[in-house]
Amino acid sequence: MPPSHPKPENEVDGATAWDANGQLEVLTFEVGDERLAVEAVTIREILDLLPETPVPGAHALVGSVINFRGKIIPIADLRIAFGMPLEEPTPDSRIVVIEIELDGEETQIGLRTDKVNEVTLLERTTSAPPPVLGMRWRRTYARELARQGEAVIVLPDLPAIFASLSHPQGLGGGETSMGHAA
Amino acid sequence: MSEQDPAAAFRIEAADLLDATEQALLDLTHDLASRDLVDTVFRGMHTLKGSGAMFGFDALAAFTHHCETAFDKVRKGIVPASAELVAITLGAMDHMRALVDLDADDPALDEAGNAILERLHAALGSAPDAGGEAPPAAQPMPAANATAAPGGWHIVFRLPAEAMANGTNPLILLDEMRELGDAEVHVLTDTVPPLDELDPTLCYLGWDVTLKGAATREDIEDVFIFVMDDMDLSIEALESEAPPAAGAVQAAASAKAAAPAESPRSPAPRSARAAEESVRVPAGRLDVLMDRVGELVIVQSRLAQLAESGLRGPAGELALRSISEEVERLASELRDTTMVLRMVPIAALFGRFRRLVHDLAHETGKEIELVTEGESTEIDKTVSEQLADPIVHLIRNACDHGLETPEERGEAGKATTGRIRLSAEQAGGEVLITITDDGRGINRQRVRAKAEANGLLQPGQVVPDSELLQMIFHPGFSTAEQVTNLSGRGVGMDVVKRTIEALRGTIDMTSEPGKGSTITLRIPLTLAIIEGLLVRVGQGNYVIPLAAVEECIELSLEEDIRTRGRSMISLRGRLVPFLRLREVFQTGTRPDPYQKIVVIGTGGERVGLVVDQIIGSHQTVIKSLSGLHRRLPSFSGATILGDGGVALILDIVQLVALGQQQEERLRAAG
Amino acid sequence: MSSILTVDDSASVRMAIRIALSGAGHSVAEAADGSEGLGKARMAKYDLIITDLNMPRMNGLEMIREIRKLPIQAGTPIIFLTTESADNLKSQAKAAGATGWLVKPFVPDHLLKVARKVLGG
Repeated sequence: MPPSHPKPENEVDGATAWDANGQLEVLTFEVGDERLAVEAVTIREILDLLPETPVPGAHALVGSVINFRGKIIPIADLRIAFGMPLEEPTPDSRIVVIEIELDGEETQIGLRTDKVNEVTLLERTTSAPPPVLGMRWRRTYARELARQGEAVIVLPDLPAIFASLSHPQGLGGGETSMGHAA
Repeated sequence: MSEQDPAAAFRIEAADLLDATEQALLDLTHDLASRDLVDTVFRGMHTLKGSGAMFGFDALAAFTHHCETAFDKVRKGIVPASAELVAITLGAMDHMRALVDLDADDPALDEAGNAILERLHAALGSAPDAGGEAPPAAQPMPAANATAAPGGWHIVFRLPAEAMANGTNPLILLDEMRELGDAEVHVLTDTVPPLDELDPTLCYLGWDVTLKGAATREDIEDVFIFVMDDMDLSIEALESEAPPAAGAVQAAASAKAAAPAESPRSPAPRSARAAEESVRVPAGRLDVLMDRVGELVIVQSRLAQLAESGLRGPAGELALRSISEEVERLASELRDTTMVLRMVPIAALFGRFRRLVHDLAHETGKEIELVTEGESTEIDKTVSEQLADPIVHLIRNACDHGLETPEERGEAGKATTGRIRLSAEQAGGEVLITITDDGRGINRQRVRAKAEANGLLQPGQVVPDSELLQMIFHPGFSTAEQVTNLSGRGVGMDVVKRTIEALRGTIDMTSEPGKGSTITLRIPLTLAIIEGLLVRVGQGNYVIPLAAVEECIELSLEEDIRTRGRSMISLRGRLVPFLRLREVFQTGTRPDPYQKIVVIGTGGERVGLVVDQIIGSHQTVIKSLSGLHRRLPSFSGATILGDGGVALILDIVQLVALGQQQEERLRAAG
Repeated sequence: MSSILTVDDSASVRMAIRIALSGAGHSVAEAADGSEGLGKARMAKYDLIITDLNMPRMNGLEMIREIRKLPIQAGTPIIFLTTESADNLKSQAKAAGATGWLVKPFVPDHLLKVARKVLGG
């Protein structure tokens, strides 16, 4: 068997893949004023900023592409999903390349981040799904809110976020349309 | 294809085997007496059954078993090969294909299979041998010899003389016996000849073994299973209550060649999806590729040396340039050889249509002959697969509308058998595929009437003949007075045209009344690399497939301003709509002072694309966009530029459609 | 570890044989028909040859006969693949110089057992 990327055994669609000890290894990073985390097993590479090519007509969430080792991969700006204002990159900005399954296809995506923090363990006991009220973004976009010291780490549901691109009404704004040239 | 999945490899083999067997069956329809063809069919079924059972395709093995049995009977002359049997077996091939592709037990499929088998048995005049010779499975264990002897065994054996020359090692046999229990071994040398008569490759020795332990007679026979038929073997139970005379069994006389007991069979793992796409590559082509890679490694080390040496100035520059040229040559050769790896002969594609024509002749009651030419022409595998459906449709059309009935042909003084010619040839960077029939040709009056009825032509409007014929590729166009079973189903010619254009190909038709029609498909050789025109719009670079580019003209600032709101230019007396890509792409940039219009065309339609700058031609290696961008209109893919940046490739068909919509809106607005 | 040659026109069967035998620590060479198999047998000594009988170009019987003439393969065990129904083939193959047989369809354990039987150990 060719080595495949390790996948947590208990992974279910939309569920968080806590291991037997109720822990989850993640990479944490900053996007705007949120601290986000993605499962460490999905991380492929952390890149310095690269020249991006805008894709006319694409949703602003995935408005550009880069050449990642000869593959053309989309760059995603999670600010759009979490309703934050767009900002210019800083010297700390990085692209986190992840690989997740979308529509049954392994897809590599570069996530635009303002700062990459660390690989850390989240604890199931200090985590909970987002509350029904009080969030300024769509509740289904996060799987878990994990407390770590003072900070709250958001574990975004990336498949849910990108799946909304297939249903254009799913995300407000950001849509540009074609064919207005006349 | 997974390197380690025999089931996936079997799927590919099975598909080939089914194709080859089907060809033999089709040949058999013309030559029912051919022993060779019957043998070929039988062997195909036999292999399919055996390998299928091995990789867990049990339903396939069980079903194929019956067809194999049928052709075994034909082979042995028990039943004759009849047209009916061949026809039923052709139907069975389709069922086998379904069984190869599907994993799950599908009751509907079972039912379909049983229906075929019923017809098969009816044709053979035999009852289904349900309990008869089952498909191969685990062997039953003979129980009779399974008892141990309490006092052990006395075994005397002499191997066939040529046993050692044929690979049997007596020492291994003795070791195997020692594993069964404590063995006392004596060599019998009584039959060793005098030295001058001794052939050193032959085995003259015998062995006398006393074996203690719980071994059964079967265990002992198992040791000798491969040689038992030809050897002397006596196995005698010691201290047994049986009378001594009956105790000695001459195994050589009675032994059955029992295969080693089979362990519980675990079906080979089968992936849920059908066999992944794979290409079989002749080893020679891989060797060429390896040679190039070898050269590349050498050049790389030269480059590393140069970097180490710190050689600067004109000498360093010269050395660097020579390496650069070498790399350029290798890159281009590597590109070519890699592309060639994807090429497959078109024969496999053409082979599928024999069956189609056979079935169509049957359905229409026409006599149809299919002639194929240029089967060795090679084509990109992906392209070959995508061509199958359009060609099926074109052949259906030709058989259904083009060819006349035998009576009509007779009246017209033609041979009663209609002929469809399918040919392929390579011409430059394209493959030409033509489908020719010698039927009645296209009825211009009817095409015109239909086009006028659909508003595609004004009544009485004069159009060149070629344009009139192009009408049949318009969406929804059909000249068939009655929708028959054949062409009524599925797609229209417009879908065929669109599929061909999606492959960056073109479709053309000529037709002569009473003589027949010819459809020509021109398909670029490969999908992987195209000649492109690199242009800039705003700050982005884009590639326009060069094959679609008709001309480039300048759009002056004044003209640009003058045509605002009505984006049409006059090209040799015809108005061509144009799209300002800056606006389509919402670049938010100001136009360059010297913009260009790139006129692109597909089919008969043209549209101009306004770009800021034409950078030049570009060898474009096509990369696919991720699933998140694939559904965008306007782009068919992307490519990587010399500086590592990305340029998007424009989707010509979509942009022309966009231009047409715009033109219609302008017309509607007056 | 033994060096084993498998001759079969079916890539899936070769693959199954290779996976089973290399899993048991043997090195496995492949040939897709009798003539390729004979070519390989001329070039290198094998500890065991496993072959199908029904193959294009040169069939298994002919290949076995030819291999038995090669001094380099003197005494090399040759196992042929057969099906249950083909008893007459079995005696023909034995007469051609085969050592033993393996009934198709087989599972890896089955193959390993037969290989152990002629290789020893």
